[in-house]
Amino acid sequence: MAGDILLEVQDLNIRFDTAEGVVKAVDGVSFRLHRGETLGLVGESGSGKSVTSLSLLNLVPPPGRVSGRILFHGRDILAMPGNELRRLRGDRIAMIFQDPMTSLNPFLRIGTQLAETLRLHQGLGRRAARDRAVELLRACGIQDAARRIDQYPHQFSGGMRQRVMIAQGLSCGPEILIADEPTSALDVTIQAQILELVKELTRSLGTAVILITHDLGVVAGTCDSLCVMYAGRIVERGPTTAVFQDPLHPYTQGLIASVPRLDRPGTGRLAAIPGQPPSGIGLPECCPFHPRCDRAMEPCRARRPPETGAGHSAACWLYPEAP
Amino acid sequence: MAAPLADAFDRALRPSSPWGDAWRRLRRNRMALASLAVLGLFALLTLAAPILPLHPYAEQVIAHVNLPPSFRPAGETLLEARTAYLDQVRRAEDRPGFSPAEQAELASLAQAIHTDPVHRRRYLLGTDDLGRDLLSRMLYGGRISILIGLVGTLTSMLLGVALGGIAGYLGGWVDGLIMRCVDILFGLPYMLVVIILMALFGRNILNLFAAVALISWLTLCRVVRGQIISLKHAEFVEAARAMGAGPFRIIFRHLTPNTLGVIVVFSTLMVPQFIMAESFLSFLGLGVSAPLASWGSLVAQGAAVMELYPWQLLAPAAAMTVFLFAMNFLGDGLRDALDPQSQRRA
Amino acid sequence: MSEPLLEVSGLKLHFPLRHGVLRAVDGVDFRIGPGETLGLVGESGCGKSSTARAVAQLHRPTAGRVLLKGRDLVQLRGRELIAARRDMQMVFQDPYASLDPRMTAGDLIAEPLRIYRTRGLLALSRPEQEARVAALMDRVGLSSRFRNRYPHEFSGGQRQRIGLARALALQPALLLCDEPVSALDVSIQAQILNLFKDLQAEFGLAYLFIAHDLAVVQYVASRVAVMYLGRIAEQAPAAELYRNPLHPYTQALLSAAPIPDPQVERTRQRIILSGDVPRADRAAVGCPFADRCWRRMEVCRVQTPRLQEAGPGHQVACFLHHPAEGTP
Repeated sequence: MAGDILLEVQDLNIRFDTAEGVVKAVDGVSFRLHRGETLGLVGESGSGKSVTSLSLLNLVPPPGRVSGRILFHGRDILAMPGNELRRLRGDRIAMIFQDPMTSLNPFLRIGTQLAETLRLHQGLGRRAARDRAVELLRACGIQDAARRIDQYPHQFSGGMRQRVMIAQGLSCGPEILIADEPTSALDVTIQAQILELVKELTRSLGTAVILITHDLGVVAGTCDSLCVMYAGRIVERGPTTAVFQDPLHPYTQGLIASVPRLDRPGTGRLAAIPGQPPSGIGLPECCPFHPRCDRAMEPCRARRPPETGAGHSAACWLYPEAP
Repeated sequence: MAAPLADAFDRALRPSSPWGDAWRRLRRNRMALASLAVLGLFALLTLAAPILPLHPYAEQVIAHVNLPPSFRPAGETLLEARTAYLDQVRRAEDRPGFSPAEQAELASLAQAIHTDPVHRRRYLLGTDDLGRDLLSRMLYGGRISILIGLVGTLTSMLLGVALGGIAGYLGGWVDGLIMRCVDILFGLPYMLVVIILMALFGRNILNLFAAVALISWLTLCRVVRGQIISLKHAEFVEAARAMGAGPFRIIFRHLTPNTLGVIVVFSTLMVPQFIMAESFLSFLGLGVSAPLASWGSLVAQGAAVMELYPWQLLAPAAAMTVFLFAMNFLGDGLRDALDPQSQRRA
Repeated sequence: MSEPLLEVSGLKLHFPLRHGVLRAVDGVDFRIGPGETLGLVGESGCGKSSTARAVAQLHRPTAGRVLLKGRDLVQLRGRELIAARRDMQMVFQDPYASLDPRMTAGDLIAEPLRIYRTRGLLALSRPEQEARVAALMDRVGLSSRFRNRYPHEFSGGQRQRIGLARALALQPALLLCDEPVSALDVSIQAQILNLFKDLQAEFGLAYLFIAHDLAVVQYVASRVAVMYLGRIAEQAPAAELYRNPLHPYTQALLSAAPIPDPQVERTRQRIILSGDVPRADRAAVGCPFADRCWRRMEVCRVQTPRLQEAGPGHQVACFLHHPAEGTP
């Protein structure tokens, strides 16, 4: 993917003030997205991946405090004035979420919601917006689109609602589509359909995708490159094939080894990572993974490891210089 | 017990229980804490009334009717008031000085003041039209009013929680029966019913309690039923059923403690309602009968003479208002502190 | 097999609707022997959770028999049912919802003991109960020093351990596990799956293990049954099912399941089903999978296939493998 750089996140920090203390949900995250690339943000709960994706459109709700820069075509999204930000959202950068039932307004017809984006960003009239919406629904695999466009969200199944969300997300031909766990709430056969659809559409439109997920199988099948997040930091990144074939960071290794695989029937034990992910309050200066790491050393307890390596890199004291 | 528990990063793992957390949240709310202090003060004073050095609340001293609040002995105030009155009459009649009759009267009054110990009393809040000490009447009246609030709230909690819990959990015809009863009782004009009851069974304190308790449990019953209905499909209830727990155990060991937050908040906000209801009855002349007092009856009496002797209205009204404010602020604070939304998820 | 621990035959669970009937479970048969694990897989609406609840008698089955150690639970009521059910306990899916937030970990784990003691079915004194609770907590990997902590102070994986300890309190022979790892993070899932296996080896437990993740089921189960719309479509020993799936739905499921390996993912041939997972209130005529099956024949819409042997221990309900009625 030698494309030019579409989005650049620099030193993103997101903090939440809670009664128990300051939670560092995202702690110094930087990454780049290239034109036409599908980037995966992989992590478990508490890794900070979801709130990172929200910050890309400056959607982090208070009491969250965001600092850092998010450059899109050279402009910092976090510093954009309100009206410019609104022009961006849904039009140049679109987002779809995990639970389509809560992202769609249950009181409005599907057609109304789809047309809203079109009329807002492309200035289409009612007739034209409706026609375009029907086209989009068809392109997303909804049969009988002309009739179903007047139905309400509750008349659609989970998979179909997600198709509607995709239709809405791609309706204005955005440059970037951010998908936050788009298939986690769906059955596995429906998941396969939806992922195929997303791949197909984004390829034909040339849209870059940031896919947030915890499912390694989904990442393996859809992403060109990925960033593995843990406790608000990126601990490993690189092209998907490289990361899976030769995982550098002990967390990535542990993660890949602990997932049961259909194509490798095994008896015996799964190589599980002991312990659990930390809460982000008052985390001392160290590698956040060290209590669970079987190769923890002195520096791991004392200092935060820098990320080293080009192309395929990891933040681990096992690789003090490029691996 | 070993060293305090810590996590993998040596951060201390402070224990946190649902009630402990709620109390901590409440402590951070200054209004609620202040209210709690105020209510505590009220409770202390009214409870301790019999052992405080108060003037007997029912004793009438005809000489001391309608005295204003003062730190000075009653006798002085009396003398001063009488002198001022006579002086007003003198000036109205345009006389240079007091007549011999008036002087004699003042002299005998001054004499009586020195000899009769009753005139050494101090009435910090003044007296009413029968010469009864307003301060002690207020404190004793507070006992009655607060008691009514508490009794009403307690009966509504017992009846409302039990019936609401049973109706909500069992559903079906049991639910239907209980709720129709509630609907019927709700439809009755409350005041009318109370008046009729009091007329039939006499005006005493017990009947007042009974009348209040009759209606008090209805709202709480509905609220508890609603909560239980929404909770009874929770997975932990299913787990209890799978273990062989019977309805009794599920309602009282699982569902009710999880509803306690709502119950506590509601009850705190019900106490003012009962006090207001009683005061309204007293205003109509149907509340406690003399010589007992309640804040309501004191307000009723005070209202009648408020242009002449404003303190007779202001004092009990202020006490009642402060108490009700404090109860309401506490209720609000409790609602925020017990709000399940803010319970952390690990 | 030797005397089965659990034998379910003709299990049906129907819910009346305003228009029609919701056939959540529509004729299910299976057996679980002592120490065995039967995996039950399927997507949403297939009836796997309803099956577990019908077996546990949380919902009274509309028809069928549930024989636990030879006694039919469907016929029992009240104290008899509770006594008989002692050998079968349940583990739930949502670690955040299946524990009463107002009870401490110790109380939660001890609750079955208290319930059975109150009913006179258990003769453990308080100190003995406490000792058992402490032992259980240690066995599932939780320090018994946490027995006075509340659920919200534990992580998801730890809560699931509490749920497991609770299920083991009465020393049952069979655990009904309803998606016990689905709500957990990947790295925690592996820990809990290992725990399940360890406990099985140590206590000789049998499991009815329900999940939607095929890879997870493959890891724990010795036999697997695939459900679709309230019926079992295919049932076989685990290795056999994954190596040689006969029912088109099983093939589609296996094909759709993502594998964490980019080489494999990019080169595999996917079967993409059309249409949605149907709802269980549709009329029951013909094979429930006919609408989405790419290999359907005319007879599939007219007759309902029954579960029949297609190999040693391998049963499938499909006209591709068994002739329909009336065909030569």
